[in-house]
Amino acid sequence: MSQSLRESVHLVSDPRNLDASVEEVFHLMLGVDCQREALPAAAEAEQVTAVVGFGGILSGACVFRTGRSAAMKVAARMTGMEFAEIDDMVKDGIGEICNMLAGAWKGKLPNLAANCGLSVPAVITGRDYRIHVQAPEFQLRHFYRFEDAYFEVMIVCDGIH
Amino acid sequence: MTEIRTLIVDDSSVMRKIIERALRQAGLDPLVVFEAGSGTEGLEVLKTQQVDLILSDINMPWMDGLEFLRQIRAQKLAPGAPVVMITTESSEEHVRQAILAGAQGYIRKPFTAEQVKERVLPLLDAA
Repeated sequence: MSQSLRESVHLVSDPRNLDASVEEVFHLMLGVDCQREALPAAAEAEQVTAVVGFGGILSGACVFRTGRSAAMKVAARMTGMEFAEIDDMVKDGIGEICNMLAGAWKGKLPNLAANCGLSVPAVITGRDYRIHVQAPEFQLRHFYRFEDAYFEVMIVCDGIH
Repeated sequence: MTEIRTLIVDDSSVMRKIIERALRQAGLDPLVVFEAGSGTEGLEVLKTQQVDLILSDINMPWMDGLEFLRQIRAQKLAPGAPVVMITTESSEEHVRQAILAGAQGYIRKPFTAEQVKERVLPLLDAA
């Protein structure tokens, strides 16, 4: 008898799945290898955050957050273009990275892949804001770096159904 | 040399650029690209343009890729043009639904140019 998602929550919340997803997306789409960092880098004042929601047997969100210069670097690597500011294309690129991270992460478990949908990405830009999550079922928050670009990926689960 | 007329449907302009670049790296040349940001826009393109190949995302606002595919068939648009879904959805069920809706190929994001080449070129040769 196959396990329910709740019974296999330890598999769902395995931090290695998130690391593997980051490695896959950044290697294939940007051609870079990322290192996991123990602590966040000193944050730039201007931040770009993308959120993709999960819905279905698991509800929650995947959050990708990075500073201004790193966001432009990510978008440049994706597109082969150069950016001097956080324009619509940079925001679009960050949204797509979050979209792919969410898809790669949920694809690690077949039950989740088949029964959990993704929202379209939402991208937030601004300065000096914090993200607060109320009483998650589980939460993964990892920090990564490639070259001199730092970013944060968070998986928040607020319900397993 | 006959140009390859391709429609790329994705709500992300960045992803449309990445897909176009992958097609060029795959050797599709000369390549004429039409872009659409949604299934609805894609249908409008197909009503006025002949295409040889369609690549479409699944998760898009207003009209998702599967409904776009069903409408292509229902409205008898782009006859003979193979459709390849390019999407973050990776489950067997999603692939099955895409094939049932009429897709000839499926590429999961993230992808490499090589994967695009492997999926697309045989379909164009067969068409």
